[in-house]
Amino acid sequence: MMLLYAVVPADATAPETRGLAGQPLEIIRGTLAAVLVEESSERVSATGDESRAFGEILCDLATTTFLLPIRFPTMLPTRSAVLAELEANEAAWRGRLTELDGLSEVVIRAEWPEADQELDSVSPSPGTTYLMNRAAVIHRREASVAEISELVRPWAREIKVLPSQQGVRIACLVPHADVPQLKDAVSIWQQAANDRQAVVSGPWPVFTFVVDQEAGSR
Amino acid sequence: MSDAPPERWSDTQVALVDLIDRVIGGGVVLAGDVVLGVAGVDLVYLGLRLVVAPAHEVEQSIALGRRSA
Repeated sequence: MMLLYAVVPADATAPETRGLAGQPLEIIRGTLAAVLVEESSERVSATGDESRAFGEILCDLATTTFLLPIRFPTMLPTRSAVLAELEANEAAWRGRLTELDGLSEVVIRAEWPEADQELDSVSPSPGTTYLMNRAAVIHRREASVAEISELVRPWAREIKVLPSQQGVRIACLVPHADVPQLKDAVSIWQQAANDRQAVVSGPWPVFTFVVDQEAGSR
Repeated sequence: MSDAPPERWSDTQVALVDLIDRVIGGGVVLAGDVVLGVAGVDLVYLGLRLVVAPAHEVEQSIALGRRSA
């Protein structure tokens, strides 16, 4: 079985890195792009530890070559199956690699305690009250997304709102050099009000901004 | 409304959660093979277009599909 790690430029140098199964990573090259893989006799389990280890390998790789991460755990049975996928998608991948070169992803989490209290307190209330409170929470989240989007606009090339159980999570596509400024801006914004907290994680490889399968097939 | 600020998140914890979330919820999606098993016993083999996603994303997709139907 081949565990797939990332799409990289066709001329990328093979990394001296071992994968989750302890095997060296290999490059399967196409004309326009290449795929980093690890050959393994066993299937990889998608536990939290394995997911974290996979992510850390990708983060290390991203320090030396630009890459599009492949969703974990994607496994293909043979080298020729990897090559077939590469040939089917490499034009789109090459385009996205070019567009995203020099950019990183950061994730902003922001939360307001009163939103949680409203959610917690509405359960025993009549239906109308529940719906009104729920609408207020949604409106507050939408306003927060708009506020944060405006805050990061000077640095973020793309913004995507991620699913979140509480508060908001926003992924931003940012030039490597601009990550510190964005983090500083979010930190100052958080300190301006003591009833909210915000944390920026990253920079990460561009997990959220890779081309999707439908776009890759067009 | 509470006067106290929320308990401070650990940056390390947040980074770890975000990394795992993005590893399994982001990235390029390909064709692939899935074997579903319990306690080490393979039960179902699926040779399908592989989409591995967190449950909440699947639920969102289902809800969107119902609304558009």
